[in-house]
Amino acid sequence: MSNEEMFKELSDAIVSCKKDAVIATVEKARDEGIPPAEIIEKGLAAGMNEVGVLFERGKLFLPHVMMAAGAMEAGVALLEKDMPKDVASKKLGIIVNGTVEGDVHDIGKSIVSTMLQSAGFEVHDIGRDVPLQDFIDKAKETSANMIGMSALMTTTLPGQKDVIEMLKEQGMRDNVKVMVGGAPATEAWATKIGADCYAENASEAVAKAKELLL
Amino acid sequence: MTTEYALRMGDGKRVFLAKEQIMADLREGSADAADLADVPALSDDELEKIAEIMMTPSRMVGVEPGKEVPVTHDIGTIRIDGDQGNSGVGIPSSRLIGSMMHERAFGADTMELGHIDYSFKPVKPVIAQEMQTMEVCQQNMIVPLLYGAMPNMGLYYTPDGPFENPGDLMKAFKIREAQESMEHAAGHLTRDTVWIMQRLMASGADGVNFDTVGAAGDGDMYASLHAVESLRKQYPEMYIEVGMAGELLLGMHGELEYDGTVLAGLWPHQQVTLAAKAGANVFGPVVNTNTSKTSPWNLGRAVTFVKAAVKASPIPCHVNMGMGVGGIPMFETPTIDAVSRASKAMVEVAGVDGI
Repeated sequence: MSNEEMFKELSDAIVSCKKDAVIATVEKARDEGIPPAEIIEKGLAAGMNEVGVLFERGKLFLPHVMMAAGAMEAGVALLEKDMPKDVASKKLGIIVNGTVEGDVHDIGKSIVSTMLQSAGFEVHDIGRDVPLQDFIDKAKETSANMIGMSALMTTTLPGQKDVIEMLKEQGMRDNVKVMVGGAPATEAWATKIGADCYAENASEAVAKAKELLL
Repeated sequence: MTTEYALRMGDGKRVFLAKEQIMADLREGSADAADLADVPALSDDELEKIAEIMMTPSRMVGVEPGKEVPVTHDIGTIRIDGDQGNSGVGIPSSRLIGSMMHERAFGADTMELGHIDYSFKPVKPVIAQEMQTMEVCQQNMIVPLLYGAMPNMGLYYTPDGPFENPGDLMKAFKIREAQESMEHAAGHLTRDTVWIMQRLMASGADGVNFDTVGAAGDGDMYASLHAVESLRKQYPEMYIEVGMAGELLLGMHGELEYDGTVLAGLWPHQQVTLAAKAGANVFGPVVNTNTSKTSPWNLGRAVTFVKAAVKASPIPCHVNMGMGVGGIPMFETPTIDAVSRASKAMVEVAGVDGI
């Protein structure tokens, strides 16, 4: 079996969302001498990308995404002993995600958190109706690379702008990327308030986080 | 020099496009819907017709004589006196006055009574006031007056409700527990909705509008369909409208079924058949607007989804048209040029029965 075929098999195992299949395929790939980093990047991570696409197209659902993420974690754990410790435990980035103060909408933001986590980011979901200073405090506490803010109402949308201003006032803006989203948020709004990006949906949030942080 | 037409982006921003670009965007939007939902794309004639509507020089357009359809409003009862900083004009009045103004001054063909929070669950503690208001409105109005609210199953999860938040459980890989939480919440949502509507029907309501069904995913739809089924059994003549939250029914649970059909991942033409089976009289398809795309792209896409739903539907389809849905830009007060063009296309190309 060629490496390309092996990567395809690994990817398919992730898309199947079955932990046993992923573990068996990872063991097979390791026995064939494929370096752990390639197994992860070209096989497992590629499978997770495919899972994201299928989620967006309504072919896979949230439980499947989590099962696939769980299977990937198990596969990566198998390879950890063969990898340098800092590489094995490395996350793609640290993201603080929440819905801004005054806005109790939770579901869309939670889907974004789940998808980011599944894609390999360390996500700190601080909930909904979050006091604006809490975004800053949590970012400091976790040394976050990015803050994600959701708002589902035009009345709460300005909270996203306020957090960006607070990041500037507290000298943190240069070190923290800002992503905004939610029904009334738009690309133009993101540009206007000085956010680094706007994401239309959860899959786009993952793609844009990767663009900005990797 | 090529003629350019003043249109909109999905966020309401002005954009000037030549006919070739309008046609290309319409075609691309239609193809996107066709690909996602596995439904037919619009024909060249249909695309040309929408392009003509979009390129009309008038600021606003209307349907051709004889093609008029019923128009109704959700929550319009509080749009006169309400001013939440977005929609609503804040004129001191009452819900009765709001309803009557829509009936007698704005030409609404049906109306609904709704309360300021607009979800079913918070109606329970104020049910007596809702019953009284329904009765007074019915005594003063002629058009059918429904009671409207959102199923909004999120209100049954912590910190708003008794069941653990499935979002938190999912993130902790507790998938089965998350699914169980959704199942429990769905049971309560069905029960509450039926209880509330029993009382409003006793107060003279003509029916119910389930607004934004599926906003909390497939569990939300599951609960709503069971509520529809129960209400239809109890009130054979009741008017029941099921309006959706989006074009794709999100699979938060992933395995819930209604009448043998998995709910997760359903598109409008599949949603409508289940709504009808449960006992709805009217279905409200919803297609979300992509704010980064042009209005031709969004409208081509929306009309494709809705046309397929109309074709598959055994009941009338009253498409949801407004801020960020139905090919209309995501804008606080959507502009009349975009609203009227999208509405005309929905009637004359998608063939909707109402708006």
